[in-house]
Amino acid sequence: MVSPVDAEAPSSRDYFELFQIPVAFDVDVDDLARRFKLLQKQFHPDRFAGKSAAEQRVAAQMSAELNAGYQTLKHEVKRAGYMLQRYGVDLSQLEREPVDGEFLLQQIELREQAEALREEATSRDANVVEQLHQSALALYQSNVAAFRLAVGEGKLESAGKAWVKLLYLAKLRQELPALGGSEVASWS
Amino acid sequence: MQIAEPGAVEQAGDRPRKVGLGIDLGTTNSLIAHFDGQELSVLSDDAGRSSLPSVVHYGAAEITVGEAAMAMAIEASADTIASAKRFMGKHRGEVSDDGYIAFAEEGLAFATSRGPMTPVEVSADILRALKQRADHAGFDHIDGVVVTVPAYFDDAQRQATRQAAELAGLPVLRLLNEPTAAAVAYGLDSADEGVIAVYDLGGGTFDISILRLERGVFEVLATGGDSALGGDDFDRLLADYLMQQLSTEDRSAAQQRGIIALGRRLKEALTEHPSVTADLGEIMPDGPTLTVDRETLNTLCAPLINRSLDACRRCIADAGVDRIDQVVLVGGSTRMPAVREAVGALFAREPLSDIDPDQVVAMGAARQADLLVGNRGEDDVLLLDVIPLSLGVETYGGLVERIVQRNTTIPVVRAQEFTTARDGQTGLLVHVVQGERERVEDCRSLARFELSGIPPMVAGAARIRVTFQVDADGLLEVSAREESKGKVAQVVVRPSFGLADTAIADMLRAGYENAAADMQARQLTEARVDAEALVAGIRAALETDGELLDPGERGALEAAVNALEEMLSSDDAEVIRGATEQTGRASELFAARRMDRSIQQALAGVSLDSLEQDVAE
Repeated sequence: MVSPVDAEAPSSRDYFELFQIPVAFDVDVDDLARRFKLLQKQFHPDRFAGKSAAEQRVAAQMSAELNAGYQTLKHEVKRAGYMLQRYGVDLSQLEREPVDGEFLLQQIELREQAEALREEATSRDANVVEQLHQSALALYQSNVAAFRLAVGEGKLESAGKAWVKLLYLAKLRQELPALGGSEVASWS
Repeated sequence: MQIAEPGAVEQAGDRPRKVGLGIDLGTTNSLIAHFDGQELSVLSDDAGRSSLPSVVHYGAAEITVGEAAMAMAIEASADTIASAKRFMGKHRGEVSDDGYIAFAEEGLAFATSRGPMTPVEVSADILRALKQRADHAGFDHIDGVVVTVPAYFDDAQRQATRQAAELAGLPVLRLLNEPTAAAVAYGLDSADEGVIAVYDLGGGTFDISILRLERGVFEVLATGGDSALGGDDFDRLLADYLMQQLSTEDRSAAQQRGIIALGRRLKEALTEHPSVTADLGEIMPDGPTLTVDRETLNTLCAPLINRSLDACRRCIADAGVDRIDQVVLVGGSTRMPAVREAVGALFAREPLSDIDPDQVVAMGAARQADLLVGNRGEDDVLLLDVIPLSLGVETYGGLVERIVQRNTTIPVVRAQEFTTARDGQTGLLVHVVQGERERVEDCRSLARFELSGIPPMVAGAARIRVTFQVDADGLLEVSAREESKGKVAQVVVRPSFGLADTAIADMLRAGYENAAADMQARQLTEARVDAEALVAGIRAALETDGELLDPGERGALEAAVNALEEMLSSDDAEVIRGATEQTGRASELFAARRMDRSIQQALAGVSLDSLEQDVAE
């Protein structure tokens, strides 16, 4: 089953270049979606039905790259990580480095609050939930601002630290109980 | 760019319209449908029946499918297989013996008097019966089919479905998720925009999908559901209720079944009438006559309906949308007024129900098939689907390292690096699993393979890259390679549970022997057509974009094309296919460069467009 490979796998394209947008942390997400859809409509394997197998393979590869690039640039935290990678930062190394103790304590506290709220599903106080969301959001936004500033000035170390905190906050966000109870009406 | 009028019918004498058909291969019923560019129609049998019961009878004299097979279910129950879909892609150990089904000794197969029949073979027989309906409708040649699968189907179940279609001799254009097909059936065109929820409550399973249609792209945002919740559970609840009303506890198995069947009939009747009367005397002596009203049914079913609504809420949260514009209902169980009301209330929308919920999936598949065979132009809606369950590999301590997260848009290619744990380790066992749980034993095992030939190094020095590639059908291919010392070890695996590829090939060959000469002639013609298309395609591309290659590259590609052209006179389909494949590979670099150029062209006008759109909005 093991076989030597002579051809190198095609190197993946730079995502900013792929969508022809400037390399910057601030991305116009609507514009990105428009570009993504335009390109996907041209390169998706469905558009190559009935074409040669070679064309279909290249199309599938291209379509997968568009999907990956879009998902990466669409989400702030993923985009931040990608920018660091572009500058040669080793993300897995960064994740292993110790995190600021005060920040960690705060995270533990917020998570415990979230867990307690999730457990009392029926009797939870909407104001308390709202407050928890507000503090998580404020923390998230201040770290986004810190990342934007640091990466803009080429201070990769501080940018890296902000990114690690954003990872924690993104995870916390998933663990927060839903806002406004369970009625879908509140979304619309 | 080719300009085509959406939905326009080809002019007679012009290019003939290709035949793409949609197939809903269901657990209880299967359907086949066609879209002619104007109208959707479900193809029926000689007796005018549109839905085919998914039941196959393996008799000594002949194989029968559908109503005729159902009629044999009691007198020849071991030879009559129903609900084969529940066993697709499963292995023997995963399925407990079922009172209604006798399994063969080896592998997962049903013991019939015609020998062991695998779920893939049974499904292939159902598909052959559907193919006959296409013949009956005058489609003597089928260019391709789209077969639907439940959104929660894992890789093994999808592979098995594809194999069944291949075995039935149907060229598969695409496997399409059932809820996505239902949304497509409503024929939303590029001008429509919005977020659509598809609520699919079938006999045994519940599925929910959230899709967004925007700028001509239909994007599946999230899927979810409950694979153990369906209309059958409602029947059982009503049957339990009936039993509670009886004084005696002693009931035979036949009476139990009779009461469940009665429960189903009452449930269906309560869709039309506010209250119905049941005579239990027809099931057991001195059974009383009971009146059941819709209110009672609603109270009984409320906990189950609420479970489905919880799944909807989770799915909406996964999708990250803040409003739903349309709701589509699929599955016979959505006829229940209580279900309609609950769904309507949750989404604050009157659900769409213009298309029969039993036919909507096949119709959507037919629309997509028509598009994929190439009957429509580039302005048509593009579908972007997602992978329903996460994919990963086993790591230390029996934990799962996820490589592709569920709800990721497909096609997708994702790689992760691993390393060796021991000094001098030359092999690495890769165990591929699918599911959302943390521990390997709680997930579905898809494949195990070993990467060997790793050069001996100290622990942690090897860099093994495991790549997961999921195509537009949701089918997986895994490869692993080690390249730290310049030596490359690589292995590629396509998990396959239904049948080994060789077994499929054997069965296909057995099928061909009947019409061997025909088949050879057809294969040769097809191989020539493919080769000619490639020759013409590359030449046309060289004409317009030849300057993307340097003279050496161009010369090599031209030589490959000329060599292929000379092969066309060969009478050996295999030889022509081989040469086509080789020339195709040789053209990939050129194809990739052309794509890079078209990105630039495609995006050249975007900034201006978006400006205009923003002004217009």
